[in-house]
Amino acid sequence: ILSSSCHTEADIISTVEFNHTGELLATGDKGGRVVIFQREQESKNQVHRRGEYNVYSTFQSHEPEFDYLKSLEIEEKINKIRWLPQQNAAYFLLSTNDKTVKLWKVSERDKRPEGYNLKDEEGRLRDPATITTLRVPVLRPMDLMVEATPRRVFANAHTYHINSISVNSDYETYMSADDLRINLWNFEITNQSFNIVDIKPANMEELTEVITAAEFHPHHCNTFVYSSSKGTIRLCDMRASALCDRHTKFFEEPEDPSNRSFFSEIISSISDVKFSHSGRYIMTRDYLTVKVWDLNMENRPIETYQVHDYLRSKLCSLYENDCIFDKFECVWNGSDSVIMTGSYNNFFRMFDRNTKRDVTLEASRENSKPRAILKPRKVCVGGKRRKDEISVDSLDFSKKILHTAWHPSENIIAVAATNNLYIFQDKVN
Amino acid sequence: MEVQKEAQRIMTLSVWKMYHSRMQRGGLRLHRSLQLSLVMRSARELYLSAKVEALEPEVSLPPALPSDPRLHPPREAESTAETATPDGEHPSPEPMDTQEAPTAEETSAYCGPRPAKVSRKRRSSSLSDGGDAGLVPSKKARLEEKEEEEGASSEVADRLQPPPAQAEGAFPNLARVLQRRFSGLLNCSPAAPPTAPPACEAKPACRPADSMLNVLVRAVVAF
Repeated sequence: ILSSSCHTEADIISTVEFNHTGELLATGDKGGRVVIFQREQESKNQVHRRGEYNVYSTFQSHEPEFDYLKSLEIEEKINKIRWLPQQNAAYFLLSTNDKTVKLWKVSERDKRPEGYNLKDEEGRLRDPATITTLRVPVLRPMDLMVEATPRRVFANAHTYHINSISVNSDYETYMSADDLRINLWNFEITNQSFNIVDIKPANMEELTEVITAAEFHPHHCNTFVYSSSKGTIRLCDMRASALCDRHTKFFEEPEDPSNRSFFSEIISSISDVKFSHSGRYIMTRDYLTVKVWDLNMENRPIETYQVHDYLRSKLCSLYENDCIFDKFECVWNGSDSVIMTGSYNNFFRMFDRNTKRDVTLEASRENSKPRAILKPRKVCVGGKRRKDEISVDSLDFSKKILHTAWHPSENIIAVAATNNLYIFQDKVN
Repeated sequence: MEVQKEAQRIMTLSVWKMYHSRMQRGGLRLHRSLQLSLVMRSARELYLSAKVEALEPEVSLPPALPSDPRLHPPREAESTAETATPDGEHPSPEPMDTQEAPTAEETSAYCGPRPAKVSRKRRSSSLSDGGDAGLVPSKKARLEEKEEEEGASSEVADRLQPPPAQAEGAFPNLARVLQRRFSGLLNCSPAAPPTAPPACEAKPACRPADSMLNVLVRAVVAF
């Protein structure tokens, strides 16, 4: 049972990510902006009110660019944001568009020096003739200011479009993945990156699959996985060789012949891959399902959850309106017991791995007032439609939930519905 | 027949999507292009098998070989046409475009000049191993079979524009259908770009559907 605590407007949100403590929530949008929300400290006089998320910082991360060599416009849309673990008072995050990754430092300033000798209060230089005494500037409190500065720009390393970034558990390196290549970076070095996966064939005409997502193992800094458009996942060990074109493990489920259809190939493309917090499992999302794989079993997933199987008979229409190409993400909760992913009509789904129960919820202003409890929704697949159900044909396919995030330790979720962000948390009794 | 129609519709739709994906911001997306060509290929296979079943009793087949030599020289003249871009990005397994792919790799808009010498070697043999079998026309389709025997390039070769009536190649009927449908779509779509792309594209109606067929068989955009 969840209740809504706040929602806000933004342009179309393209990524959502909590930081490692859950204190901060970052969103990126199509306009290249990053908005960071910070959780309020819980106050003593409002014990029953959990901390709400308020805007902490907003900055323009990426601008539209033009590649003159290829006559191509480079979109400023933020594809992914990943936080670095906090190591001092400042916060660091990586944000990326199709071509360039940037490291941003977000820091607070609540004091400023006053009493300069050579400058006046507005910063203008004083006439030296008027200076008759010497004084030491002192730090005085000021209104809190949060500033974001780009500390590193990692550019010109990707020919194709970047789909993922992942910070390594060593906190010194990270990887960026495009359709055909994965590069390893050191945070300190921006003019070089190390190519660790390259699936580009010598002859592009022989290309049959692309990389769709990649992530480092949460604890083993030598291990990472990447998913493909053919529905496969490869686990690679960087200790094995410099170029990890040969995988250590290969996860693929044999195709169910009864499900084979005209669009089988494209709906099997994996749109997101995530390690569990424990590092023992990986979760993948393809167009109709979410699957959980055990790292020790390569021949099939251990769990498969149907997100919206009622769409299986509508694939042709979904191809026509381009919805079949939508890339949904998936997330684990802090304890890896529940998984969540989005669907259409502003619905999102949660699956409890232990009880095998699932629920469909809706993120919309009409249906949820602040602090109201979300009502489970149901899609009627045929036959008689009950009062509260919605029929498949009434679903609004323009309202899609592609990006969601789950707080690392608490039951707080962030759901991006087009240009709105919804934050839901457990109701406290 | 229903199946054929549906397959045609999907093929036309796919070509349309491919064409328009070039217009979007951020440039051609490799993954999207790959997915579109997969659907295109499936639709084509479906269409062909339906057609083969329908044509089984028939005897005549369009001779593909004689048309080929005629097509090679004029091809090069068209090298800068942006029309060629979707083609260049989806060269067929058959000879012509093999050479272009490496040069086209780093440019999304493929406008490079065609090499003077075009290899006529069928590359299908190199494709048939591994997972690419699906990209090679299956033996089932009789029209293609004949192509293979003659060692000629099929629909792709026809980058240049012989008038529609003369459209040769492996799938003359398909070519005509696509051309008819596609040019109709191009002309009436509200989403059509206001500025006419250079050269040949100014006359989309004249463009042979055969060149559109390149996108049928190729899985990839040459970047």
